Amino acid sequence: MPRITSAAQFLPYILFCGAILAVPSIVSDPFLLNKFARYLALGLAAAALALSWGYCGILNLGQGVGFGLGAYAMAMHLKLKTSPVHTGTAGLPDFMVWNNLDHLPWFWQPFHSGLFALAAAVLLPALVAALLGWFMFRARIAGVYVAIITLAMLAVTNLLFVDQQAYTGGLNGITDLAWFEMGGVEFDPYSPAFYYLSAGCLAFFLMLGMVFTRSKAGLVLRAIGSGTDRVLFFGYDMASYQCLAFSLSASMAGVAGMLYAMVLEFASPTFMGVPISLSMVIWAAVGGRGSLLGATVGAILVNGTQGSLSETFLDSWQLILGALFILVVVFLPNGIAGLANSLGARLSGRARGMAARSAAPSALLNRR
Amino acid sequence: MDILLSQLFTGLSIGSVLLLVALGLAIIYGAMGVINLAHGEFVMLGAYATWLLQSTLGLSLLPCLFLVFLMVAAAGWAVERTVVRFLYRRPLDTILATWGVGIMLQQAVRLAAGADLRYVETPNPLSGSIDLAGVAIPSYRLFVLAFAAALLGVTWFVVQRTEFGMKLRAVTQNREMASCTGIDSARVFSLTFAFGSGLAGLAGALVAPIKSVAPDMGTNFVVDAFMVVVVGGVGSLFGTVASSGLLGGGTAGFAFLLNDTLAKALVFLGVIVLVRFRPQGLFAATGRR
Repeated sequence: MPRITSAAQFLPYILFCGAILAVPSIVSDPFLLNKFARYLALGLAAAALALSWGYCGILNLGQGVGFGLGAYAMAMHLKLKTSPVHTGTAGLPDFMVWNNLDHLPWFWQPFHSGLFALAAAVLLPALVAALLGWFMFRARIAGVYVAIITLAMLAVTNLLFVDQQAYTGGLNGITDLAWFEMGGVEFDPYSPAFYYLSAGCLAFFLMLGMVFTRSKAGLVLRAIGSGTDRVLFFGYDMASYQCLAFSLSASMAGVAGMLYAMVLEFASPTFMGVPISLSMVIWAAVGGRGSLLGATVGAILVNGTQGSLSETFLDSWQLILGALFILVVVFLPNGIAGLANSLGARLSGRARGMAARSAAPSALLNRR
Repeated sequence: MDILLSQLFTGLSIGSVLLLVALGLAIIYGAMGVINLAHGEFVMLGAYATWLLQSTLGLSLLPCLFLVFLMVAAAGWAVERTVVRFLYRRPLDTILATWGVGIMLQQAVRLAAGADLRYVETPNPLSGSIDLAGVAIPSYRLFVLAFAAALLGVTWFVVQRTEFGMKLRAVTQNREMASCTGIDSARVFSLTFAFGSGLAGLAGALVAPIKSVAPDMGTNFVVDAFMVVVVGGVGSLFGTVASSGLLGGGTAGFAFLLNDTLAKALVFLGVIVLVRFRPQGLFAATGRR
């Protein structure tokens, strides 16, 4: 668990945000930018998980629910923008035509508006999480059972989206998306504009998360993470705090999913599948579950390595990833961030020790 | 009447597959408190072992079973020795580490056997169907049902009536105290994990002719099996049986009224509600942990 705040702890976050925002001034290859934007979106998803898991002890194996809802909310909007091109009739998305729908369902109507889609991508996951969280945490469900309930929730959501083919595109999901447009800017996923959107969202939520976890509410959350009983005995309304963290985390995952759908130009039920949800857990664990920044870096590192490997090597990558993950869980429970922290502490400790020694050599000599 | 009977049998049949897969998981979770997310991959290993034995040695399914049990149990033993034993004090971390094991097993099989679907033949005498009160029932499904029941019996016997089972129960109740009386608890846990994995392998061998065999077939099994174990109650064999029947019957019933996908969604929704109100499961063994 991270220690209580100091100004120095903001420094890595500021440096990181500055670095990711500076990337387009160095890199101009559109494919690289697109790749980086995708990693940043996944980094945001991992940071979201760290917020609920690392800080508050809520191991959410169903992070894909928020991620997928965000992705679908955006995909619905982008599909409506493009569908006349593909079907020509009354702006009805192609898969609805194949499923013999003759008019747009009512809940699709508001998605003509880009603002509504943005709001939905942020608020819908939070709403679902708040409901589920309220349902779980009121009963003081914790630990393994939270993992099981969120896993079951993931399965339910996934199955529903696959089943409601006429409204969601079924197993194929929603494909052939247009580019997002807002305030006259078109966010071509291969353009610097889109990269800035992705990096901006990540930077915003990292800073927000940083401030939130350092606030009084954040302190209570960390207290919950390290021992629920004490928090209860102090009279805190634990369920509300847990709901708050759970919903904020889902919201962040929703934004991540939204960006992911924009960058890949489709949304599919695999976005809310078991493999991707557990992958997010892997990223957060590798980077450090107790640190938002650590989890983000973990996601970027794992995906970046995966993306830079050649096709032939990609086969054995999963083996390496599995092994790496086991090693991290067994020997490095706080991930890369934990390693960095303890190294930093040791270095500063040694520096302090040296300073003390040089300041008071006579005392040491006397003792000897 | 016919419809009712055939639905009942479908439910039993789904339930028996669930029971087969969940039995090993229930033993491992119940006795050791380890949530083994690689369980589905052990099922997958069992299916591939069967396919391997069948395609290279030409063995039919039934003679394979014992070999498959030993092979997968050995794999389980190796996993326990190398990974799981470090994590007995951190139950949540076992979820993560065993998921890593699962990824590795999946990819290893994909590299060794290819990503294509494999098919395992139904043994000849069991490929027909039996007429039961006017309903045609595939005899292989009936065989799976009987086998699941037999395996349950064997497991019960091992846990309740053998010396190993007695040690296992002692270690489950209090590991330190059991160690004090001279029980080698590390060895008991290794063997238990191997036994549970072997059971998963058997489940894999038996479902191989019904479902297609693919490297990622385990993911669905493990989620289903988990729900069965949790609903049934940790550490209760009877609970596992009852909840396999319940979930199997529920799935079959909803599937008859709606469709397969919605049926599964509804059953999972039911599981969520149940875990919320009875996290210890329907038939929790009392007085443990």
